[in-house]
Amino acid sequence: DLPTAEEAYNFFTFNFDPEPQQQPRRKKRHSRRREAEEEGEGESGEEDEEKEEEEGEEEGELEGEDDEDLFIIDQSAQDFLEVKRAEYIGYSRRLQRERETLFVPSMRPVPASSKLPENVRPRYLEEEGLYVGERPPVCLTNQNILENRILKQAEGRKWFGDDGCIIALPDPINESSSRPPLFHLEDELDPALQAVYRKALKTKHVNLYITGMGDPQADYQLDVDASGLIFSHHPLFSREHVLAARLAQLYDQHLTRQHKNLTRLLTDKVTQKCANKTKLPALSQVTQQRIAEYKQEVRHTRQLRDVEQEKDRALLKSIIRVWKELKALRDFQRFTNTPFKLFIRREKVDREQDEQEFENDIIAEVSELEAEAEEDYQRKMSEYRRQHEEWKSWKRKQKKQKKKRQQEEEEEDEESEEELGEEPEKPEPPEKPDMGDLEEQVREKAARIHRKPGEPVLIPELTVSGPVTPNEQCPRAEFARREDVAKRALFIKVLYNDKEVSRTDSRTLNMDFRVHFGQIFNLKIVNWPESIKLQVFESVGSSSSLLAEVCVPVPESSILTGSAPFEEMEFSSNQRVTFNHEGVGSGVPFSFEADGTNTQTLLTSGKLSWKLSCCVSWAVGEDDVPLAPPSSQPGGGMYSGLRQMDAIACIGASGLNDMKKLGKWAAESRLDPNDPSNASIMQLLSVVSGGDVAVPEYFRLEQLQEEFNFLTDEELHRCRRFRLLRLRSQEVPEFRHFKCVPSMEREISEKVFQDYEKRLKEGEIIDTKEHIDAHRALVAKYLQRVRESVINRFLIAKHHFILSDVVSEDEVPSIGLLGWNLFKLAEPKRPLKPRRKERKKVTAQNLSDGDIKLLVNIIRGYDIPIRRPYASKPPVSAKSGRSFAEPFTAPVSSHTPQQGSEWPFGQPLIRPFVEVSFQRSVLQTSTADGPNPCWNEEIVLPFSAPNGDYSSTSLQSVRDEVFINIFDEVLYDVVEDERERGNTIHTRIERHWLGSIKIPFSTIYLQSRIDGTFKVSTPPVLLGYSKERSLGSEGGYDAVRSRSEGTFLSLFITIEPQLVPGDTIREKFDSQEGERLLIASEVFEKEASGRFPDRPCLTTVIDINGKAVFVTRFIRPLTPPQELLDAFPNGPQETAELVARYVSLVPFLPDSVSFAGVCDLWSTCDQFLTLLAGDEEEHAVLLCNYFLSMGKGAWLIIGVAIPEVSDKPLSQSHINKTEGGKSQISVGEIMETHQWKSFEMDVKTLYFCMEPISGFPLHLPFSEIRPIIEAVHSTGVHKVEAPNVEFALAVYVHPYPGNVLSVWVYIASLVSAR
Amino acid sequence: MAELHIIGQIIGATGFPQNSLFCKWGVHAGGAWRLLSGLKEGQTQVDMPQTGDMAYWSHPIDLHYTTKGLQGWPRLYLQVWHQDSFGRCQLYGYGYIHVPSSPGQHRLQCVTWRPLGSWQDQLAEMFVGGGPQLRSPDLIYSGADRYRLHTVGMGTVELELCVILRHFDRYGVES
Repeated sequence: DLPTAEEAYNFFTFNFDPEPQQQPRRKKRHSRRREAEEEGEGESGEEDEEKEEEEGEEEGELEGEDDEDLFIIDQSAQDFLEVKRAEYIGYSRRLQRERETLFVPSMRPVPASSKLPENVRPRYLEEEGLYVGERPPVCLTNQNILENRILKQAEGRKWFGDDGCIIALPDPINESSSRPPLFHLEDELDPALQAVYRKALKTKHVNLYITGMGDPQADYQLDVDASGLIFSHHPLFSREHVLAARLAQLYDQHLTRQHKNLTRLLTDKVTQKCANKTKLPALSQVTQQRIAEYKQEVRHTRQLRDVEQEKDRALLKSIIRVWKELKALRDFQRFTNTPFKLFIRREKVDREQDEQEFENDIIAEVSELEAEAEEDYQRKMSEYRRQHEEWKSWKRKQKKQKKKRQQEEEEEDEESEEELGEEPEKPEPPEKPDMGDLEEQVREKAARIHRKPGEPVLIPELTVSGPVTPNEQCPRAEFARREDVAKRALFIKVLYNDKEVSRTDSRTLNMDFRVHFGQIFNLKIVNWPESIKLQVFESVGSSSSLLAEVCVPVPESSILTGSAPFEEMEFSSNQRVTFNHEGVGSGVPFSFEADGTNTQTLLTSGKLSWKLSCCVSWAVGEDDVPLAPPSSQPGGGMYSGLRQMDAIACIGASGLNDMKKLGKWAAESRLDPNDPSNASIMQLLSVVSGGDVAVPEYFRLEQLQEEFNFLTDEELHRCRRFRLLRLRSQEVPEFRHFKCVPSMEREISEKVFQDYEKRLKEGEIIDTKEHIDAHRALVAKYLQRVRESVINRFLIAKHHFILSDVVSEDEVPSIGLLGWNLFKLAEPKRPLKPRRKERKKVTAQNLSDGDIKLLVNIIRGYDIPIRRPYASKPPVSAKSGRSFAEPFTAPVSSHTPQQGSEWPFGQPLIRPFVEVSFQRSVLQTSTADGPNPCWNEEIVLPFSAPNGDYSSTSLQSVRDEVFINIFDEVLYDVVEDERERGNTIHTRIERHWLGSIKIPFSTIYLQSRIDGTFKVSTPPVLLGYSKERSLGSEGGYDAVRSRSEGTFLSLFITIEPQLVPGDTIREKFDSQEGERLLIASEVFEKEASGRFPDRPCLTTVIDINGKAVFVTRFIRPLTPPQELLDAFPNGPQETAELVARYVSLVPFLPDSVSFAGVCDLWSTCDQFLTLLAGDEEEHAVLLCNYFLSMGKGAWLIIGVAIPEVSDKPLSQSHINKTEGGKSQISVGEIMETHQWKSFEMDVKTLYFCMEPISGFPLHLPFSEIRPIIEAVHSTGVHKVEAPNVEFALAVYVHPYPGNVLSVWVYIASLVSAR
Repeated sequence: MAELHIIGQIIGATGFPQNSLFCKWGVHAGGAWRLLSGLKEGQTQVDMPQTGDMAYWSHPIDLHYTTKGLQGWPRLYLQVWHQDSFGRCQLYGYGYIHVPSSPGQHRLQCVTWRPLGSWQDQLAEMFVGGGPQLRSPDLIYSGADRYRLHTVGMGTVELELCVILRHFDRYGVES
């Protein structure tokens, strides 16, 4: 349990005060006190004495020290310091002391006598009738305390009055508060002071700065051109002005209408459409439909034209009426205020032609109406006919029924009638339309809306040339009004984003109520424009009042100063103004009539910027660059994703964001493409349809990705460097070990990927070159794939670390271990018996080529085959041949040790040396003598990992093997000339292969060292050598000769520095076994490992699918192939041996190589025989199953040894206890060595004149060709350098059931006999 | 072929209510980005500082990206977790930070936040630990509809990142 940080801090910063030491002293004092009490003496005296005593002691001590200090140089700190106890005064003592010095006034009331001078009676002024103010209320206790205290003071009594109380002023507190109460009613609060609650709002202006304003070049300018002001009503208008303004307004309307000339346009349209209609041939369905449409259109257009015509006429009429009113008013008031004058021009027309046209028009319309009516009638008629038909049929039915009823059941007549339902009404035939009526209607309408034929065309013309009555001739009221007008002045304030930026000069109001400003304001803006306001102020004298406020829309960014049209804005104000002169005021009813009827109310209103008055636009810079901000601000944002929309932005239709709808609307409403007012829309639509602005139906997440891409995906894919980097990080086998990737693209050649691509491409193609048949190739491929998938699985699993993977922590030595170590110290040193020490382990990361070395220590050999006496005589060879005839049945007695002396040149029995080859480097020991040589030599071989990758995975998958070969060194005298023999030695050294040991590197790596005596795999037959046990012969006293059990070699192999082997995966595999079984097996495993911690215990193993399987599921009786059982029908022992041999012939493939750093995968016997490869478990399981089916008691024993060292199955790691307990290899070998005999005979017969130097059969189970070649190669037969040497080679493959092949390679090297 | 190296470390965290913390981290980049090598997510060890407030992790980050566009510049998202004395882990904060776009060494501070549950949640958290977590941790860097979320600020995670740009200038990106 760790302390918290706070506790720790407290611990380290805590001040350890010395414990107060006065405890015993106080006790002492207490006891003394008790004594004192007993003695009845005063305490204080004792105390003082005691103190004095103490002081005295201290002084004495100090003096003594001083004396010594003068002479002692070596002083320690303690000499200067003195430890004193903490001072403490007891509580009761402290109280006592305090009592001496402090005064605590009592709370009891003071007797009146002590407050007054002596012999004075208290005198109460109240009782004497004097007014005494009320004393302020004081708490009695406080008063007592105060009195007590004051009395203690000097002259304390002066504070007391005659009545014995403390002198006090009357209570100063007023009875009622002098300030009025603050309550009030809501209604009474001044409206100006009322507060309104507003919610907290985020300011909007923060983000509205125009982008890129940091850039000094980007300045934006807004030009506001306030050109003028015209009032359409003003409080100072006289009545005449009102009328004049109205007249002007109407005239304006008239002018605009005339400018548009809608009537003319529509008339033309009607005539044209009529013409079109007649042109169309009324044949096909389409054209008929077309005609119907035309008719519809013509009717519609005519209606429109009629409406327009009517409006025109009404307008003209009202203009004339207003003018008449104006004239009447002028007459009435006898002066004129306005210069307006209306002229009406008559334009003569050709009466004949006009009438003609009029008639034509009417006729056309009438005929049209007639046609329409006719159509209508026809439709109605057909409807009528249909109804009539129905009615008739109903009638008929009814009659029939009636008849029936009458015949059958007369009484139910009524009911059945009801059943038939209501009688349908008899349809009335429609009336034929009255054509005469139609014409009359048309004429009437035409008279109403159309100018009469022959009547002159009236064209009003308004001029301002009329004389205005001068001021002197006006009546008083009018004069006052004019005076008032002259006093008025107007100016305009320009507000930008609600801030006043500038104002115009104030201009006086003219008689015609027009003000011309003509000022242009250039606004340099920083903020995004939100609103531009113009405020119109009217000033009379020095005071000014706001007349109206006009909001000007912020212009589009395409509107520039040069091109901007002047716009007019209307405004009005609701101020009420009345005058006592002729001015009509504003918001006040007034009347034109003298009798006050027909009142009207007008509000001050007018047009700002009207008639060229105000214009807002973006300025143009000196270099013709518009100083407008980019339109991608608030509103324009929606276009940013759609580049195609730019066309619209050019046109300036900013509000149109749904082009589809617009197009649809345009199609539906049949916009006239020739109409100039539609021109912009038509253009827009053409742009839209042409540019295909269809808004994409899909939604793109990163819209501008493509626009902003640096390069395309393909380019990125093509980049070799990136590919290499990616493949490396994906740990693709070919690139996993790439250390450095060049930084330049050009430094990487295409070749790098060739292998990888080839592998990808040829994944499915099976290469049968390496394998004998397609089946094996297939199996190899399958194995490869399983390996890959398993490796991938485990690569992932390997990233699951546990604490010990990350933290390397030395184990805390236990007591027992310590004791053992101590005991070892006491052990006698034995320098002659050196021990191997534990070395420090090195993690594999920081290693490079050349750092790792393989140490092979060859200690000694046992029972190395000895040379057969060398003889060139045929009988010898024949003898040897005979000796092979029954090599295993009886010891060869013909070879006596005495023959050793017969060796040429007196050579010993054998001169063996050991050659170790590993990774293309070959080293050998010195040559020793005899069949039991002792080398004790260390061979150092360099090791380099594949691709320079020294990670543990890579090291585990190293498939290199250490070959340890034993050779016999044979010296031949090659001196040709007998005369030279005296002074020259000329010999040839030959080496003869005797046997070998193969140790895979992975074994060494995983075991970290290999120490022991190993059986050398020797060929069953060695030409020229005998495998006798020769121990006895050397000693000379052991007469017993036995066949050698084999050759052995003592080895010690290790890696320098010691590498940490990769751990096997501890991952839990999912299992299909039952939960109970798994738990039980786990319990068993735990129990077993508790009892025998050194022994491995397996309960579940992983099958080839990566599932955990209970181990006994692999063991089932399995019938061996029938051929094997038939081979020895009555020799069960032989059969058993043959079966064992069969199993041994299935090639070996250690798991640790195929599934590097993974685990043992167990395959079933079926999978094993299909794959024809497996390691010791599979072999053992298969053999066990075979034996079980043969009725033998067989057990599978799992142990630990140097794994997979030899190529013999069931070697040391798994022992199959068969009944006989015999070696399983013999029977089959006997069978097959017959072949060797014949081969040797062949050799002999062919080359009877030759001497074999060496020769042996190699026996291998078949997996691939490459290992066989390697095995042959490793024997070094080819290294014989004798002149005229010849080689003999024969291969025999013995087939076994189930594609199991036993391969024999017979090699001999021969030298021709002299 | 613009390349971006992000090399650095998650130094530690400070300002959390408890200081036995660990951190889950990840780098999120847009679709245009491709990871060439390096681990783009991981988890630090649990640091239980005996003194001081700061938990130190010194967790290395080494990433190599290539990109075909600037969009979706890599960002680092963090989850700080607390492991209590019972070994239970409890979320202490979410945070995210953009990888700096200028080359050089940067010392970054990533502030973190944590969703605040209802009062029942808070009460439960006080006594039995645990606490509200985001249903989809994508929200850390996507930030949609976050205004509904009630959060409480937690401590700060300190990072040190070195950014190396390569060949960005070929595409007009000045560094």
